[in-house]
Amino acid sequence: VELLATIDSMADGVLLVDAQARIVETNRAALELLGVSSKDDVLGPIGEWGRRFQLRTVEGRPIDVADYASVRALGGQRVAKYDAVLRHADGHDVFVSVAASPVAGAGGPPLAVAVLRDVSAAHRLEEIRDEFLSTAAHELKTPLAVIKAHAQLMQRRVPSEAQALAVVQRQVDRLSRLVQHLLDTSRLRLDEAGGPRAPFDLGSLAAEVAERMRAASPSHHIVLEPAPKAPVVADRERIERVITSLVENAIRFSPGGGEVELRVDSADGSVHVAVQDHGLGIPPDRQARIFERYYRAHAGMREDYGGLGLSLDVSREIVQRHGGRMWFESTPGVGSTFHFTLPLEAAT
Amino acid sequence: VTRAGARPGGILVVEDDPDLLAIMEMILSDAGYDIRTAPDGAVALARVAELMPALIFLDMRMPVMNGWEFAREFRSRHPDACPIVVVTAAEDARRRAEEIGADGWIAKPFDLEDVLGAARRHVGTPPRPAPSAP
Repeated sequence: VELLATIDSMADGVLLVDAQARIVETNRAALELLGVSSKDDVLGPIGEWGRRFQLRTVEGRPIDVADYASVRALGGQRVAKYDAVLRHADGHDVFVSVAASPVAGAGGPPLAVAVLRDVSAAHRLEEIRDEFLSTAAHELKTPLAVIKAHAQLMQRRVPSEAQALAVVQRQVDRLSRLVQHLLDTSRLRLDEAGGPRAPFDLGSLAAEVAERMRAASPSHHIVLEPAPKAPVVADRERIERVITSLVENAIRFSPGGGEVELRVDSADGSVHVAVQDHGLGIPPDRQARIFERYYRAHAGMREDYGGLGLSLDVSREIVQRHGGRMWFESTPGVGSTFHFTLPLEAAT
Repeated sequence: VTRAGARPGGILVVEDDPDLLAIMEMILSDAGYDIRTAPDGAVALARVAELMPALIFLDMRMPVMNGWEFAREFRSRHPDACPIVVVTAAEDARRRAEEIGADGWIAKPFDLEDVLGAARRHVGTPPRPAPSAP
């Protein structure tokens, strides 16, 4: 009874789920979050609950009951929190952060507890920020166009100042790239669908990127191991950006030059791409955060190479939207290897 | 003389930012093209009614009549008139161009060569302005 009172006074919604995937207990915060007045509106099979309150991903896709956090937790695993959307009884959408874990019982049938936290305000804030970033980036492009065009025209008209004007142009190009980064992240969130997907060979794409990066950074030795055909169906432009930013990072974080290896191989229905450098590596206490938006593992350290820290977060999101994964290994002073996979196109 | 002053190779630049309009004009005049300008779609429609250009560079976001509205109106009044090249800050310049059935696109910020290349493709090599008779 004391335990129930505790659960009831929690600020987050709680669902207790039994081995048959039925909600057997809930609390006041959950009722408020869903806009219902009686526990009877919540208790019962969790699949029915999910249908009634239209549980779906942030992108709007329905979630399989087997993938519900509580159902996965029944299998004994802790489910890290993720965001989902629910339909409140009055019809508006509620963004929730969901986490679940198995309840350590005294040998009885398994139970799982799911915790729902209302994150609508934070989500709205993120949307506003993305719209702002997108607008700001657009507004920056016209002045950049004016400055760049003047610099190029003057370069033709006044050859004696060519060197200074080349610097102006280089800096404008740098600003343009930052603007493009801002647009890419905000666009990913505003335009969930992404670009068109078409079949292509990932190995050839990697070779193109390697070729381009060799020209851009002569002090690094960019090695691409010959790869077998790796056909994928994907948004070529975005995957190209992913590989490019991984190679850029490898170059940026190995300031002493040296080898950057790019490997493409395929196995078990997926293509695996790895980018390995022998540079600074990422400090262990910072490794957990490097996929966070805007996080820069080297910020404030002696080896702070600038940049907005957007691309890893964006890259991983792009890969995940294609049904792939991204991860890394890193040892300070030895180097880092970043990996990602994409599903191999079924050979038909 | 019909269409007094009409010269093949005349280019109309439609852009609401005065500095960008000025630099586009400088780039193209320097190369020898005959340029007219309009700060928005409404003025541009009046300009093409006076005199049909050989090519239009069209900004998309403009306060009075934007690029979409201009293109729709222009095509309905002058079917099979001159090509349009979209100049846009949008991330997906190509899609913008497809939306209005344009013949090309340039993404801001652009290179001089992007502008000159489009002019060459659609208008040909610049007709060096002959000393015009009064």
